[in-house]
Amino acid sequence: MYRYDEFDHDFVRQRVGQYRDQVERRLSGEIAEDAFKPLRLMNGVYLQLHAYMLRVAIPYGTLNGKQMRRLARIARDYDKGYGHFTTRQNIQYNWPKLSDTPDILDELAEVEMHAIQTSGNCIRNVSADHFAGAAADEVADPRPYAEILRQWSSNHPEYSFLPRKFKIAVTGAERDRAAIQVHDIGLHLKRNDAGELGFAVYVGGGQGRTPIIAKKIRDFLPEADLLSYTTAIMRVYNLHGRRDNKYKARIKILVHETGEEEFTRQVEAEWDKLKETVLKLPEDDLAAIAAYFAPPKLQDRPEGWAQIAAGKKADSGFASWVQQNVTPHRHPDYGVVTISLKPIGGIPGDASDAQMEVVADLAEKFGHDEIRVSHEQNLVLPHVALADLENVYRALLNAELATANAGLVTDIIACPGLDYCALANARAIPVAQEISERFGSLERQKDIGELKIKISGCINACGHHHVGHIGILGVEKKGAELYQITLGGSGDEQTSIGQIIGRGFEPEKITDAIETIVETYMGLRSNAEETFLEAYRRVGPAPFKQALYGEASKAA
Amino acid sequence: MSVMMKVLTANRLTDGIAVWLGANGEWLESIDTALIARHAEAADALDEAGKSAFNNNLVVDIDLIDVQEVDGEIYPIRLRERIRASGPTIRTDLGKQAEFRPATAA
Amino acid sequence: MSETRLWKTGGFVADDPWRIVGEEDMPEVIESNARLLVPLARYLELSETERTPENTGVIVAPDDDVSQLEPHLDKLALIAVTFPAFNDGRAYSQASLLRSRLGFGGELRATGDVLIDQVPLMLRCGVDSFVVSNETAIKRLSEGRLPGISAYYQPSATPSRASGSYAWRHVDRPSA
Repeated sequence: MYRYDEFDHDFVRQRVGQYRDQVERRLSGEIAEDAFKPLRLMNGVYLQLHAYMLRVAIPYGTLNGKQMRRLARIARDYDKGYGHFTTRQNIQYNWPKLSDTPDILDELAEVEMHAIQTSGNCIRNVSADHFAGAAADEVADPRPYAEILRQWSSNHPEYSFLPRKFKIAVTGAERDRAAIQVHDIGLHLKRNDAGELGFAVYVGGGQGRTPIIAKKIRDFLPEADLLSYTTAIMRVYNLHGRRDNKYKARIKILVHETGEEEFTRQVEAEWDKLKETVLKLPEDDLAAIAAYFAPPKLQDRPEGWAQIAAGKKADSGFASWVQQNVTPHRHPDYGVVTISLKPIGGIPGDASDAQMEVVADLAEKFGHDEIRVSHEQNLVLPHVALADLENVYRALLNAELATANAGLVTDIIACPGLDYCALANARAIPVAQEISERFGSLERQKDIGELKIKISGCINACGHHHVGHIGILGVEKKGAELYQITLGGSGDEQTSIGQIIGRGFEPEKITDAIETIVETYMGLRSNAEETFLEAYRRVGPAPFKQALYGEASKAA
Repeated sequence: MSVMMKVLTANRLTDGIAVWLGANGEWLESIDTALIARHAEAADALDEAGKSAFNNNLVVDIDLIDVQEVDGEIYPIRLRERIRASGPTIRTDLGKQAEFRPATAA
Repeated sequence: MSETRLWKTGGFVADDPWRIVGEEDMPEVIESNARLLVPLARYLELSETERTPENTGVIVAPDDDVSQLEPHLDKLALIAVTFPAFNDGRAYSQASLLRSRLGFGGELRATGDVLIDQVPLMLRCGVDSFVVSNETAIKRLSEGRLPGISAYYQPSATPSRASGSYAWRHVDRPSA
């Protein structure tokens, strides 16, 4: 993985110093809240319901054991002993003191981490496939490009005050695990016919109030042109994106209002003037960054095959966990381990300091010192020998981290919602917990198969409800919580936006409604292999409407 | 029809902790002893006190919120404010509910 | 509102002859000898003789297209860009285009909501004079406390490539 050099260390130290000065100005009363707020946001500090919140960047979701250990220590020393992993592959602390935040940033800087641009109208943490560098279906590792984008976008003088926030995602496989089509820029790394690496460029996707699927504005951009082309897009957006209405300020609205063709023309015209400038990436630099992400040297461990076969026979819990949470690695003797942060009835994405330390230990001992955070709010050990799986499983089991539900109905994404968030209209986590309890039986979950439920507590859609196979949006109606259901959304290579199925449900009725939808699917699927999404795409909303609302739905 | 009552809430600048204005002019960490405005003039006075505390950089995000009295306790009308006054509903071991009312957390 | 002062990298400048033309005193005033900043659209309507560098500069609004100034840049001593609010970042792109794309060599001035934490970013986009009225900004600038970062991950109008590092990395001064 990437390691800071002196330049990076110097930059982050200076940035922390800058922020420390800003906090001191605020605490001394030299600057007022309206002037300070944008400054603290640029460093990931929000004010939420109960306290401040600090969002720490985990670039493209990759970190090592030492960094995870430091995140645990910060949770213990400066917070209340836990952290929340987010859908942007970051971690949030819910109770830091403003006066402590500069010290926390110093602690992070020591382990090559920061909170730069985790909020504000700037280029946010670049996200990537959480299986990058390990997945069997990958063309090339997208993280070197994400790292180059991270560097290039850090404290960018021209793009720090954009019309609105800006999110970039990169994937290197046909199977899109980074939801690139619902990002401001989505980059799909691939090879052309000549075998050269480059990107299909998607622009103008996003969720929020107006969910829009990105448009592919270029089928193949040579890798050397990554920064010049991105700069061209950013410049067109910065100059022409709407600033009169924050709900229309994202690039998706600009692309929509300008028209895909005209927008593309403007970008290409700007790029034409940029592509032969210093922004063109030299081969040496690309190679040097890529070298940081060289795959670990994995020794053949063929003995693992027999071991896990025996282990599975002896322990059905282990067998289920391997089946559900271990994904094929490109090396046949290894697996990619998903550590579920979705215990049955638990809080999606939360991990205690002790749990983080267990994961750090396991990464160091069995995982070539690599950990990933997935946008599905789980953790990943990308390189674990099959021969070590049982040891890893036992340790995770002890730490209550071995829930065998990756990709199943209880692997629910939920934003913090009204339990923490100042923007939320309704709670999201209790809904996730109740659904998780209802479907807690692993046998039932496996019978249901792949089903992604995603819950947001407001229209900003941090819980990605628009791309949930079942999406749940919490709203406030007449002073009470109400939950709207969308069906048929998906954030993969066949991205679709879920459709609202009908009127919303009260908190005490939402779990029943979800169960009705699931049972309806079970009753109509053509066979056990047909997933919920496939079935929905085949039959449409009608049977689900009928099941939820009965005759009343026909009148509406 | 009960009289609309209001209390003044904010978050403390230095640590962000939710606070309510008390009768003695202090910002309190619990809503239980917050000063209740029972008529418009009192609410205006709270509002003024809030602006002044904001301008003096003591608190941020000041808000005059609607409350009722239920069994002698202050009960905010909006769920959002009830959650601020007690803590996350999903972690009853944290926040005000744990610090001030451990026995009645539920 | 506090006083308004003009700052350049060398310090505050006392006698600044330029002023922004008011809509009402166009076009008569342009013929007077005052040094005036004229809105871009009006500037383009002026005759060649009226476009004297010593008397006429341009003030660019955030939605103006600065490339329209390309034929006139050698006749311009001063271009002002505007930040209507600190979070309106269009002028960063305009300044970058004027300096890096169009090669404008005259004075590039920031007007509007010029705050201390944004001045370093404006400098990097090629702005070299600042109309400042924010109290904290004036205080900090007079104390020489500019809160910038001297390591840059991207090329911009002023810095040079950092030696021995990746192509996109830059520093303030050319390395020896």
